[in-house]
Amino acid sequence: MILNRENAVIELKDQTIKEYGGIEFQEIAFAQKINLRGNSNNKSFMTLQGKLLDAVLPTKSNTYTNNGKIKILWLGPNEWLIVDEDKKNNELFLKLEKSDSHEESAITDVSENRTIIRIRGKKIFNLLAKFLVIDLDKNLSNDSSVVQTLFVKVPIILVRNNSNVVEIDLYVNRSHANYVYNLLVDGTKNLDF
Amino acid sequence: MFLINCPYCGEREQSEFSCGGEAHISRPKNPPDTSDDQWADYLFMRKNIKGVQFERWNHSSGCRQWFNVVRNTSTDEILGIYNMGEAIPEIDGENPKTPSGEPEIGSGNISTSFKKK
Repeated sequence: MILNRENAVIELKDQTIKEYGGIEFQEIAFAQKINLRGNSNNKSFMTLQGKLLDAVLPTKSNTYTNNGKIKILWLGPNEWLIVDEDKKNNELFLKLEKSDSHEESAITDVSENRTIIRIRGKKIFNLLAKFLVIDLDKNLSNDSSVVQTLFVKVPIILVRNNSNVVEIDLYVNRSHANYVYNLLVDGTKNLDF
Repeated sequence: MFLINCPYCGEREQSEFSCGGEAHISRPKNPPDTSDDQWADYLFMRKNIKGVQFERWNHSSGCRQWFNVVRNTSTDEILGIYNMGEAIPEIDGENPKTPSGEPEIGSGNISTSFKKK
């Protein structure tokens, strides 16, 4: 199965990078995303998934693990989001589904649910602070931070990438992506506060 | 607006959470033998305390986990947070004294005609 290749953000078609107020925006539209649920206290489940994914499922809250190919985001004590940015098909999902022998686990392909808006620049925190109620310095201080919160009233996931310049991936529902992007672009005015 | 310390995600703003109402209401063990009054009591009757109340909360815009909160409904002061299934903690707090001396159970300053049995 080939994933939907239409961008959700109209202005960021075909991997376009737009820059406003010193902040760059790019849409990572075609990443494969798999929602995995299971009991983190079940050793055999954790071992099996670790072997299949070649990465450890994070058990520490608000963090992610990265093996160079995929990212595994912590969404809850028994829920993870596996993100594979390079794959344009659902090979990883089929592999996990085929080997899913655990009664207390669930694997769902949610690739079409969210898109990723990648934001890069020094004043990202100033920009996001205009819309978020969370303490960004506290919650997004590490390179492996993940935060699930509300952007105005839209549920989002923020992931801080390991990068020289501050780079954050904003996961948002495809249907809200334009709305969020337009607000962010509008917010790039007057960032020097 | 107040902050809630999610046992999983840490301190977050109240708008990320949903209140699930009064905590520690158990379903009757044998529904066929339960009278209509007892069933209605289980389904609908809630204390609505003006003061210290035990509530269920869900971090709906975060980890989506349920947990219990002990909250003073008058001041929104959170006196305790504990996981589902855990025993009720001892809370060192008094319900606020009100000038008119209205009952603890009721809606705001208007006393109600019923009391939970």
